[in-house]
Amino acid sequence: MTGNAPRTIAVLFGGRSLEHDVSVVSGLQVLHALDPARCAALPIYIDHANRWWMGDDLWHRETFKAGGPDRSRLTEMMLAPGFGASTLVPAGGSFHVPGRAARIDVFVPVLHGTFGEDGCVQGLLDLGGCAYVGSGVLASAIGMNKRVTKALAAQTGVPVVPWLSFDRGVLERGASWLKELPARVEDTFGWPVIVKPCNLGSSAGVSVAASPDELVAGVLNVFEYDVEALIEPFITNRLELNVAVAGLDEPVASVTEMPVTQQESPLTFSEKYKKEGRKTVGSIEGMAGALRVLDPEDLPLEMRERARQLATTVFSLLGCEGISRVDFLIDADRNALYFNEINTLPGSLAFYLWSAAPHFWTLTELLSKLIQRAERISATRRGLQRRPPAELRLLT
Amino acid sequence: MTDRSSWPLLLIAVPFGYLVWRRLLAYLRYFQQEGYEHLRFIRWVKLRSLFDPAFWVSVAGGLLVARFPLTAVVCFGAVTMLLAILQPDPRRSGKITLNLTWRATRVLAVASVLAVTLWAAVLGAYPDSEVRAAFLASAVVTALAPLVLIMANACLAPYERHVQRTYEADAARRVREIRPLIIGITGSYGKSSTKAILAHILQFAGPTLAASGSINTLMGVTRHIREELVFGHQFMVVEMGAFKTGSIRRICQLTPPAAGIITAVGDMHLERFGSADEIVRAKSELASAVPAGGLLVVNADSPGAVRIALGATHCRVKLYGEKSTEKLDTRLEQVRFTRKGTSFVLRTGEAAFSCFTPLLGRPIILNIAGAVTLAAAAGVDPELAIAALRTLKPVPNRLEVVEERGVTWIRDAYNSNQLGFRAALEVVAALPATRRFLATPGVIELGPEQFDVNRALSREAAAVCDSTLVVAEANREAFVAGHRDAGREARLVSVPSRSEAFRWLRDRLKEGDAVILENDLPDLYERSAGVFWKEPVRAS
Repeated sequence: MTGNAPRTIAVLFGGRSLEHDVSVVSGLQVLHALDPARCAALPIYIDHANRWWMGDDLWHRETFKAGGPDRSRLTEMMLAPGFGASTLVPAGGSFHVPGRAARIDVFVPVLHGTFGEDGCVQGLLDLGGCAYVGSGVLASAIGMNKRVTKALAAQTGVPVVPWLSFDRGVLERGASWLKELPARVEDTFGWPVIVKPCNLGSSAGVSVAASPDELVAGVLNVFEYDVEALIEPFITNRLELNVAVAGLDEPVASVTEMPVTQQESPLTFSEKYKKEGRKTVGSIEGMAGALRVLDPEDLPLEMRERARQLATTVFSLLGCEGISRVDFLIDADRNALYFNEINTLPGSLAFYLWSAAPHFWTLTELLSKLIQRAERISATRRGLQRRPPAELRLLT
Repeated sequence: MTDRSSWPLLLIAVPFGYLVWRRLLAYLRYFQQEGYEHLRFIRWVKLRSLFDPAFWVSVAGGLLVARFPLTAVVCFGAVTMLLAILQPDPRRSGKITLNLTWRATRVLAVASVLAVTLWAAVLGAYPDSEVRAAFLASAVVTALAPLVLIMANACLAPYERHVQRTYEADAARRVREIRPLIIGITGSYGKSSTKAILAHILQFAGPTLAASGSINTLMGVTRHIREELVFGHQFMVVEMGAFKTGSIRRICQLTPPAAGIITAVGDMHLERFGSADEIVRAKSELASAVPAGGLLVVNADSPGAVRIALGATHCRVKLYGEKSTEKLDTRLEQVRFTRKGTSFVLRTGEAAFSCFTPLLGRPIILNIAGAVTLAAAAGVDPELAIAALRTLKPVPNRLEVVEERGVTWIRDAYNSNQLGFRAALEVVAALPATRRFLATPGVIELGPEQFDVNRALSREAAAVCDSTLVVAEANREAFVAGHRDAGREARLVSVPSRSEAFRWLRDRLKEGDAVILENDLPDLYERSAGVFWKEPVRAS
């Protein structure tokens, strides 16, 4: 970091999203990994109602069990209005304790899913002129939408699995789609297909359909979570391959990892985030709870290298910052690699991928690098010319 | 009062004040669970406060203070402090914790003031022997603590009524402005599940509002409307609970239904109503509220519900059912249970629809028939409604099947009636399992029939389950009798609490076993309510 003065770092976690709990786990990891010698970390919990809370209880995981933190022991905070204040102040209410404003040097959003990973919080921080770690509004918003990401990636020559997208608006136009959609899918892909929400991270709402009935059920299931469903041919003999990318001076790809899952179905939500009596590798926290293989040597080196290279391509294409995890699918029958999706704020910031060759960075080191980068980006953006040229000055 | 004599008083007042504060919190939890209804709360309290050790410590202090003044005062202070600390915090302990809402806070604040006033008044009545009077005052306040809460609530009643009226008026205005198509659902059981199923189907036809869980009181519906109803909502599904005659009518005034579903009329909450006729009268308020030409969907398998249907001549009536001999608009047929869900056929006039849903239990499938009937009448394509059934998700603790380390758990803790009880037994009997267990406190609030009903359930359970754990006191004897009837007394295990039941199960469960967790009484009915201290868990 430039300058040795300790920074005040606000870690944002929780959030109004299906992945609230995952975010709390990730957030606490980040919170405890921040280097206490170089920064004062401040946990900020965002609850299901999108209210922000500050307090010492938030350091402990137990606080979040059984109904969430005891709000009477916390202070509700909000971002002070106006550009550049970058200060959290107690929010309204007649009983707030005055003088507990906190000036924040850098925000670290560790939020997953809607309102946190999709550019919403990033937009709020931009409005306040705050420095923050991770992707900005555009990259976050695109990364959240699987259809747009795939379309962009395909246009750049990154291989993707073909898809059909299906809008919830169809429900307003009668029930004929109940017959037409399965016919169209059968013609285009055949069975089985995978049905997933277009705008969600995690595996919520994902299902595999092998018949018209299951397809319709899968689509309706998606419409409970999202306004757009994505339908792709289901690669039966599939493997998954993930790579993390860090936005440093230039994008750096991590080692590859292969999450080990059952072959017949995609990772379900609980498989991704809970460990149910299975053997685990690495930390037992969060995403790292799933069984995984780092740098799978069974896989040809060229394929692993190709994944790392494509990962940085997608990362740059979207203009990501911070840590993203780029997920690939391998069709084992055809030996083909496909870009699947990008998570612009992956669980645990995918730190376990940096703990192996070629990097060996701890989460603490990684965070220091990212915070430094966030400060530079914010300062650069602040320095961009905002004074209107003469022809735009109409009121002088 | 001289400085010398104020020390003993302080030594009594400060720890005792803290203790009373804790006790008020503890009682408030149950007062809140009883919906701040005085009679119901009193029925729970009975003479409980006289069994509070703090009461007897105060009495003992009063008796001993003449002979050992210093010892009495110091011991009293120490013991009350200890008792206060030993008491579990109701905000964090118990099955349903105390939720310090604004209302609860108001009641607590006024009750605290009243308690202090009462204590001071007793003290003031004996100006000559202040210390002894302080012990007496402490005994009085401890004994009357539950009454103090009731008094506080009574003092606040006009204010609470005013606040509630304001909220209701605001909610009613929102409903008038937004004008969603409102569907009211009532019945002795099956309301919440039918509401959830109907809302699930309707959401694919238009933006739908329905409260999750079982919000079904005027206050709950009011709050839900004020927080959630927005322009754009096309449907609103309202669960209407009847606690007494008139309660559904009032909800219908707030949310005038265009259509209604009556899921069943049975003997639930008989204690509150007094007679079966009174229950029918209470539920028929929904039928009366449906406008002329509106739609009423009625479960024909329930004779009480059919009575309401026959009385509803002003609106269109559609009947659904499985066993009924009436001419039905929707008939349920060919119900089959598997671990993955239920397959069944819905026959409507000429057409027959094959359906599948991940949900289990005959009553729930019957609720589906009711919801589909209403949805179809409201203009939802039947094919879409049937497709939507595949994506229903089990409501937690309502015949929810969970596999854990090879053990099949059938969680049915939210059920509280005999129909649901039998449904759970039917499902567990249909699923493959090496041994079957049941843990339940039985069913309650059935008036004079309670014993016989539980005895019959116990008999049926004995035929299906290898072991039945009867939890708490309420129905223990009935369960013993039922198992005796079945000649299987050895299959019955009596446990004092839910946690004890879990402990018992945990020690014995093996892969391939199935367990039903049936009905989960509120804290009120468990023997070890743990008001004054944390109840130690006893080994059986």
